[in-house]
Amino acid sequence: MAQALFDRRRVNGPEESFPPVYDSDEEDELSGSNLNTRQGRSSADIRPIYLKPGLINQANGSAYIETEKTKIACAVYGPRQSRSTTYNEKGKLNVEVKFAPFSCTRRRAPMRDAEDRSIAVLIQQALIPSLRLELLPKSTIDVFIVIIENDGIEGCVASGSIAASTALANAGIEMLGLVTSCAASVVNEEIWLDPTVNEARLTRGTLLLGFMPALGIVTNVWQTGQLTIEEAIKSMELCKERCLDIHSVVAQALLDSAKEQ
Amino acid sequence: MASTSKSEQSYVQASLLAPSPFREDGRGLLDYRHIALETGVAPLANGSARISIGDGPHGIGGGIPGTEVLAAVKLEVEDVQTEEGVDVGRVVCSVSCSPSAYPNLTNNALDDLQSDLSSVLQQTLSHRSLHPPNLSILAGRKSWLLHLDVVVLTDSGNIYDALFLASAAALRDTRVPRTRGIEYKAQNSRATEEDVPMGDAGRSGFDTRALKKSTDFELTDYWDEGEPLGKSESWPVCITLNLLPPIHYLDATPLEESATMSRLLLFFAFPNSSSGNSVLQGMRLLGPGETDLQIMKTLIPLGEKYARDLKRGLDAKFHSEALRRNPATRNKMAR
Repeated sequence: MAQALFDRRRVNGPEESFPPVYDSDEEDELSGSNLNTRQGRSSADIRPIYLKPGLINQANGSAYIETEKTKIACAVYGPRQSRSTTYNEKGKLNVEVKFAPFSCTRRRAPMRDAEDRSIAVLIQQALIPSLRLELLPKSTIDVFIVIIENDGIEGCVASGSIAASTALANAGIEMLGLVTSCAASVVNEEIWLDPTVNEARLTRGTLLLGFMPALGIVTNVWQTGQLTIEEAIKSMELCKERCLDIHSVVAQALLDSAKEQ
Repeated sequence: MASTSKSEQSYVQASLLAPSPFREDGRGLLDYRHIALETGVAPLANGSARISIGDGPHGIGGGIPGTEVLAAVKLEVEDVQTEEGVDVGRVVCSVSCSPSAYPNLTNNALDDLQSDLSSVLQQTLSHRSLHPPNLSILAGRKSWLLHLDVVVLTDSGNIYDALFLASAAALRDTRVPRTRGIEYKAQNSRATEEDVPMGDAGRSGFDTRALKKSTDFELTDYWDEGEPLGKSESWPVCITLNLLPPIHYLDATPLEESATMSRLLLFFAFPNSSSGNSVLQGMRLLGPGETDLQIMKTLIPLGEKYARDLKRGLDAKFHSEALRRNPATRNKMAR
């Protein structure tokens, strides 16, 4: 077996192959790293969100979210009977994330790896405080997320959480409120919301907040990199305000989709 | 970790929320169990450390096994051009959980737990802001790949604090072997001496031939362990705040963990030991409980205070460990 690239279920390409590097790609990277002010939007603006629930008919609930270069489809199956024989008085939430092989700049092998699971754990953490799992004993709710195009891990987790919460609402699962999520990154002394993958390279620390505006509780916090305590608290405040705005987008999308049916 | 009944959970919660709170081993809410640290436990590794929170049968604790974690650092040479190497070197962390530590988990659940612990460690410690400066060997050719492998031997609660304490101690204990670049010259060296113009007059400022001649490297001294890993004081410590509104407490035992609905992990680093300012190196919220943003804003500065105390203890113990090990080796050499 030659390395881990040998995939028995697929027709493999040649053993040694490299993706082509285009001159224009290198130029884009260099120009992005020299800027101190944000290009195209202000530091507190997030990218416009397109959210449509109910695109996948086979699933109990589904949602598709698109924000510039991040495209994620989410399907919810459940509540359905749990496969385990032990009695669980609370329902289980199972989140699975999959990157499409064409979603990143370099082709990703279709096999599951550690990065898939770490994103799934973060999205699960964002959703769990919002669901009324004690009403669903012996049941499992499966949330399947496919990332069709990926523009940074923080963007994936934030958009994935929003899509998953919308899909759960679309499936009619009882919840305490909708969960919305927003990421912030600190570049020099400014806090930029919703960073793209190029902006995330310039930053020295990013923070992601999952928030439930209906009850005003935080469901998920994830911070990496170096921030001072004041910067972290300020980022959380800014993310929380943005989450309130995203909540109205999600509510409107769900309302429109319910009216269509 | 084992399942607990609702009455057990409510019993633990009620005693923690009581006006004078008490815990099963009589500690205060903010007291840690006894932490034991030993460095240099893996002689084949470049650096290693063993942490035990809540001593086992031999110490205080009454025979209840504590949380024992063993961390070891192994350095590997990586080629920048043909493999995944990066010029400045890479840091890769992984956690493996011994099945004896989690006898109730299936293989799949154990794999998932390992993967989760590894990703928390990797996301925090491999960030470029913590990257040590002396991990490159030959610019553009070879660099060090630092493998930090942590093994969980027993888990008796507070696993994240133990993982990060052991990692910080192992990384501080790491020594990077000193290397020097070498080049290979052809047999008829007389021909090359005539070709290269000698003397400053013939050398142009743009002559970069001297730079890329090193094609390989060697260890300057086989028996020398090397220089300490750079930035050794700035590895972060983890504080796990177990949240039970309106109170919070530290260092939970497994029973207390099963009764607590949410935990806040805070990772603090103190890059400048003289000025003493702190940076938040990571933050993570775990658990199905409800958390208020206002409460979180008060918790973060408190966590920084606890982290500072923990770091001070770690520094003091690390220094005494270094003193313990150095005189011993000096005596051995003298014999």
